[in-house]
Amino acid sequence: MKTFSVAEWTRSRFISVVVALFFCFICQLAFGGDGLKIYLRLLFSLVGIYVTLAVSLNLINGITGQFSIGHAAFYQIGAYTAALLGSTYFKPMADNSSLLWLLIAMGFSAITAGVAGFIVGLPSLRLRGDYLAVVTLGIGEIVNIIVKNQKSLGEAYGLSTAKYESTVFAVVLLAIICIAVSRNLLKTSHGLAFLAVREDEIASSAMGVNLTKIKVTAFVLGSAFAGAAGALYAHTKGFVGPADFSMDTSFLILTMVVLGGTGSITGTTCAAIVLFIIPEKMRDMHDLMLGVPIGVAIGIIGGVGMLKRIQDTFHGEGNVRLGMNVGAIAGGILTAYIASKLLCQIHGLQTMINGQLFRMPVLAITLVVLMLLRPQGIFGHHEFSWSWVQKLFGKRPVPESEVAS
Amino acid sequence: MSTLCALPLASVDFTTLPQQLVNGFLLGAIYALVALGYTMVYGVLKLINFAHGEVFMLGSYGALFTSWMLGFGPGGNEALTGSWLTLVIMLFGSMLVSGTAGFLIERFAYRPIRNHPRIASLITAIGLSLLLQYGGQIFLLQGGKQAINSKVNPFADDLTFNLVKPDPKLAAEAATYQKRVDDAQVAKDKQFEHESDRFNPSAFGVSLEKTLNELKESQSDISNKANRTAVTLKIPKGKLIMLTAILGLMFSLWYLVMKTRMGRAMRAVSVDFNAASLMGINLNTVITFTFILGSTLAGAGAMMYSTFQAAPIDSFSGAAPGVKAFVAAVLGGIGNIPGAVLGALVMGIAENLVTWSGYSSYRDAIAFVILIGVLMFRPGGILGSNKVEKV
Repeated sequence: MKTFSVAEWTRSRFISVVVALFFCFICQLAFGGDGLKIYLRLLFSLVGIYVTLAVSLNLINGITGQFSIGHAAFYQIGAYTAALLGSTYFKPMADNSSLLWLLIAMGFSAITAGVAGFIVGLPSLRLRGDYLAVVTLGIGEIVNIIVKNQKSLGEAYGLSTAKYESTVFAVVLLAIICIAVSRNLLKTSHGLAFLAVREDEIASSAMGVNLTKIKVTAFVLGSAFAGAAGALYAHTKGFVGPADFSMDTSFLILTMVVLGGTGSITGTTCAAIVLFIIPEKMRDMHDLMLGVPIGVAIGIIGGVGMLKRIQDTFHGEGNVRLGMNVGAIAGGILTAYIASKLLCQIHGLQTMINGQLFRMPVLAITLVVLMLLRPQGIFGHHEFSWSWVQKLFGKRPVPESEVAS
Repeated sequence: MSTLCALPLASVDFTTLPQQLVNGFLLGAIYALVALGYTMVYGVLKLINFAHGEVFMLGSYGALFTSWMLGFGPGGNEALTGSWLTLVIMLFGSMLVSGTAGFLIERFAYRPIRNHPRIASLITAIGLSLLLQYGGQIFLLQGGKQAINSKVNPFADDLTFNLVKPDPKLAAEAATYQKRVDDAQVAKDKQFEHESDRFNPSAFGVSLEKTLNELKESQSDISNKANRTAVTLKIPKGKLIMLTAILGLMFSLWYLVMKTRMGRAMRAVSVDFNAASLMGINLNTVITFTFILGSTLAGAGAMMYSTFQAAPIDSFSGAAPGVKAFVAAVLGGIGNIPGAVLGALVMGIAENLVTWSGYSSYRDAIAFVILIGVLMFRPGGILGSNKVEKV
């Protein structure tokens, strides 16, 4: 165990802050400039926003274990706060200075969303598991319905506000802050209390953890970040409408957290990037014949069934098992290919279907298959660490105590 | 009217209240069938089956396709009208479809992960619900929103009950006005027979026409005023038949749960999962049976909802009734069968009252408001035990 030195701590913190700001600047140069296509810039900003959303939901769902599925509500509250303030009271400021106003708007949105998170966090003191899930879902819906019926919030038409050329710098900054707060929380004794609440509420309260404080803190922090992300969304798109914050948005964020591994910040970040880009890319998919989705469904059912069978009954060597898994996946893909080719020969299954319709089913299938095969998510509780990278390249494993210090 | 700052209950008309209550009761009876599925599955597995609303949706498609097979589809025989038999066949069609769906969902999605933590089942349920909604959009929604042909229901005419007669004074006044209108009509017709040009009458003809129109206006005013003091109740005969069928289904459910071996096994499993399996109860059979039973009831509810309430069908149409039925189950005390029925009736009436008081755009929010209220103040529900859930 190395001794703790204030100077070294300050230096390392200073270096990380500088590196983070430099990274934001690089991203701004690489993705925010005018040379790039507008679409790519928008995509990059939205990916950053969704990383923030997923990591902030992970703080509630994964780290504290409070199963909340209404995250879009906080995102919506933040977005509407920024859009309303930016188009009324702070209009001159919002129109003129983009970065300064973005930072202020993020602050405002974080405060309103945080207050909402405090209110939503209170029921979590009495409810657990599925009930809390339903209540958060319900609060999300109630927020959306109220917004839809408010004249001052533009009813179903939405609000328009200043649209900025590039919000990449702020987006990346927010994502980095969100990831850093989550990571640093887990490294301190405060974070251990969050984990303890996730593992066993009664035991942790017997150990002196203040359940109320921990749960409400998690909700307030998570929703404040979601609100700040909402502010960025409002100014990235220049427009907010109730349809952008429906239940589907909540489910998309939830899928990111679950796929990455509940509790794993690394996993959530990776899953957010992948799960946002895949459905976006599917927007320009070609129309398909009806036979194709049926064939793919048959392939998925076959492949997943075999994988599940291997997982449940086969306890042999690692290599054999890996081979069987690969075989099952290959078999599934082959079955899907052959079945879709064959089914497309049938006359009744040759109707063309809009490729965009496949975006949400892909998410849903991901959720179900993931729960069947790997309920803890792809990364599980694991995090990215340098010792893991070293191990990957054949260095000797570093003992735990050295890593911790 | 729909802003929060407007005077509350501004547009309330108390003479329509009994009608709204009856409508709410009938709607609640349909929700009860769906809520029973939620509550039974929760009782046995301690799982909120989020995909139950989608089983309901598949049931309404079952009813739709059955009606198409019977000749009520697009391009069918125009002269065809339904009968008792049509409705019964449609009922069985939708029950078959949703029962099969429930069986498949339990067998291939819930059973493999029954030993995992409960959150895993919950996420699977959400995933399945999304899959059926959006997957259904690909396979079922080829022609937009569908609705069952209204001719399958031969009992569409209303039974009218006059609860309160119109105010006699106003009614008498309306009658005298009616007489004056008739006289003026006769006078005008007589004059117009002598006119040379019907469309350009003389001054006398114009004045007669004007008097007639004025009289007509005040007559309709008065008779509207008189009608507004009356309280009438209109119930379509079909809905009464529907209510009878629902009561029959509920009675058979009661018999099944309370009087048969399988029902006893179900109750045992809901009391203690592990102890029941130690007593030689085959858990898989009981759980599958519960799922099939609940889904079948949801299918029956779906057929009634889409036939008698004439609700349009698409792949998302199961979500709203599903949520309301779930709230009904929680309101009555989840896991409690009479509670689900009671909660569903309250939900149906509450929903209609919200519409009646002029806040119809908040109709879908009332379910969640009730849910949050119940969970905050009485988590056990109306009839359930008041035990706070422990870890």
